[in-house]
Amino acid sequence: MRLILYTGKGGVGKTTTAAATAAWAAERGLRTLVVSADAAHSLGDVFAESLGPEPRRLAQRLDALEVDARHVIEMHWGRVRAYLVELLRYQGIDEVIADELALLPGAEELATLVCVEDWAASGEYDLILVDCAPTGSTLRLVTLPEVVHSGLRWLLRLQRAAARIVEPIASGLVAVPLPSAEVFAEADRLFYKTLHRLRARLLSADTSVRIVVTPESMVIDEARRSLTDLCLFQLASDAVIMNRILPEEALREEFFRDWRDLQAKRLSEVKEAFAPMACLTAPLQPDEVRGVRALAAHGKMLFGELDPAAHLGRALRMRFECDDEGARIRLPLPGLDRKTLEVTRVEDELIVGVAGRRRKIALPAGFAKLEVDRVSYRDEQLVVSFVAPNASPPPAPSA
Amino acid sequence: MRVLLYTGKGGVGKTTLALASALGAARHGHRVCVLSSDPAHSLADALGQPVGPNMRRIAENVHAREIHAQVELDGAWQSIQAWLRELLRDEADALVAEELLAFPGIEELVTLRAVREVEQTGDFDVCIIDCAPTGSTMRMLRFPDALRIFMEHFFEFERKGARWLRPLVRGFDAGRLIPKEEFFDAFERLYEEIDDVRQILLDGDRTSARLVVNPMRVVVDETRRSFAYLSLYGIATDAVLVNRVMPESVAGGYFSRWLELEREELDAIERSFPVPIRRVSLRSKEVIGTKALEALALDLFGDEDPAARFSSGRPIRFRRVGGRTRMEIDLPGITKEEIEVFAKGADLHLRVRNGRRSISLPESLIGRPIEKVRLREPVLEIHFGNG
Repeated sequence: MRLILYTGKGGVGKTTTAAATAAWAAERGLRTLVVSADAAHSLGDVFAESLGPEPRRLAQRLDALEVDARHVIEMHWGRVRAYLVELLRYQGIDEVIADELALLPGAEELATLVCVEDWAASGEYDLILVDCAPTGSTLRLVTLPEVVHSGLRWLLRLQRAAARIVEPIASGLVAVPLPSAEVFAEADRLFYKTLHRLRARLLSADTSVRIVVTPESMVIDEARRSLTDLCLFQLASDAVIMNRILPEEALREEFFRDWRDLQAKRLSEVKEAFAPMACLTAPLQPDEVRGVRALAAHGKMLFGELDPAAHLGRALRMRFECDDEGARIRLPLPGLDRKTLEVTRVEDELIVGVAGRRRKIALPAGFAKLEVDRVSYRDEQLVVSFVAPNASPPPAPSA
Repeated sequence: MRVLLYTGKGGVGKTTLALASALGAARHGHRVCVLSSDPAHSLADALGQPVGPNMRRIAENVHAREIHAQVELDGAWQSIQAWLRELLRDEADALVAEELLAFPGIEELVTLRAVREVEQTGDFDVCIIDCAPTGSTMRMLRFPDALRIFMEHFFEFERKGARWLRPLVRGFDAGRLIPKEEFFDAFERLYEEIDDVRQILLDGDRTSARLVVNPMRVVVDETRRSFAYLSLYGIATDAVLVNRVMPESVAGGYFSRWLELEREELDAIERSFPVPIRRVSLRSKEVIGTKALEALALDLFGDEDPAARFSSGRPIRFRRVGGRTRMEIDLPGITKEEIEVFAKGADLHLRVRNGRRSISLPESLIGRPIEKVRLREPVLEIHFGNG
């Protein structure tokens, strides 16, 4: 089972690209599901079909769905929700509000992951494509299992212990309904087992992220930042897809005279910044791409002879580390000539110059307060070490 | 202080138009502040100069600031953060823990708080918020409501629970996981701050939303729904700004079909939204830097003050017709099947697609039966009987 997440800045054509990949993969014989994870869904608009939280068949081997947090919570969290409702009733409020609470921050991201994992584990599909919400939210989605894994496990352990202590005391004092063993069992299932599996799924070799961009500097700047975030969480990205390239015919228009050079420049920038990931391109279409047939044609043009489900390129294994000795970035750069190497820090970016070419790396938030200390090149790896200013230890929470 | 929320589907040019409006408003003599609430910030990219988490002057009478959850957390809410750190102590490695402190929803929360901060300084006449794409903006707008529900129903309960548990688990490892009293105090202060912002946002005289749209079908479809969600949460939209309209000079050739589709969408935009529409055409170069942004503002608003209130309409209105009261809400792009209405106690519960809200009814309508619910596009009418 291959899982591919499509991410990128808003408006670059993520949904169209994910839907086109799905339509073309299904036509090539893969059982394919495409999932919209953006709460402001537009997958249905692109297929010109109305979609819901259950897969809907759009063509042979092609299914699509739009995640609905409420639906997922009802399916998976029935008992916990029932307990909450009971607790709320004790507090004097009704079910409507319990529903409200189901949509507290994080619920949507969680619902998406649970939904994807369900279908991934079902064995019904060879390929699942996720059309993620714009960049910021996608990252959250990816970090969620980690958050829950570390935070809630403690919380639940605590609550379980507390229920054991408090129940005998509490039952004598007040009529607060305490969670039953089943409630804990269900929370346990959801939070440990399901989320653990989710995390394993996201980090598996069968999962890739594809970053969609357009030839605009604002879009590319953001894509570089999200690559850093993806590396930070060790998610493998196999390709960057540049969308909406103006074809030769369109460039002949006087109005777009300046675009030609700009476009070529942006394309080479992207190739450099994202190597060794593959870089695919798709021209701006003369008509809107809507409906399964148009989407499949668009997918065919995008991938050509390539298998849309293949690992299109190698992931960039950039590593960020932070421990008692300080913080480091490790960047694999085979065959580098040390003499031409130049590393500078500008605001929240690290600029690595090699033989006159410059690669910009967005720094993660944890590095914001640090300064570059040392640059070394060993075992084909560039290592940039950071220290806190005034040589005090790095701001590690555990320090 | 006037608050303008710039929102819309991803990639339509929210940041660009928010900055252009800021520069335009400054030309009309206002002191303007631009806040970016999208965790994927692009103010700096559009300005071609660094912005960062501290208020920075970017032009005459214009300041800008990116909201970084992490930086905000470092500055305020030490106790909330300390508790979270404890919670994550031996689980995640230091770097990941740092990133994780920006838990889902935190950007929305800190943005709301920043609006209040800006208002309190008294240094600005206009605060323009460059919002995250639609999905997260809606989440931001319902945050104060969700928080209010939590505070009213859970907060005291949790606080009492923690007070009880603390002595019981003292000395056990689990003890460190129970939040301290300071945590609850900090939380309560936070709630009061957010509630202040709620008042600002719901006041149509002070706050207006601006929906940025491109003349493409998928974008227009989503924007109609966004307008409806904004109405539902009680936020008045005072204008729809159409960005990247293909100039007539490219008529014919490769783009002829595009132009045709665009014209259809421009008509649809005029028909769909009960507020003024402003347009600006696609530029032949990327719009980066204050000069280019100022020129864009002139094209978009002409001589008008971008901070003016373009429409005085209210998203939710009560009206007396023939001795009966009806409530009206502007809900473009929504079908009857996507709406659910019922009254319970002093509240009217409304569900519109994925959005839900309970609205407190005016005293005089409490207990009155709902006689009829009718959708006269784009207005939803809820007729109350005299019960």
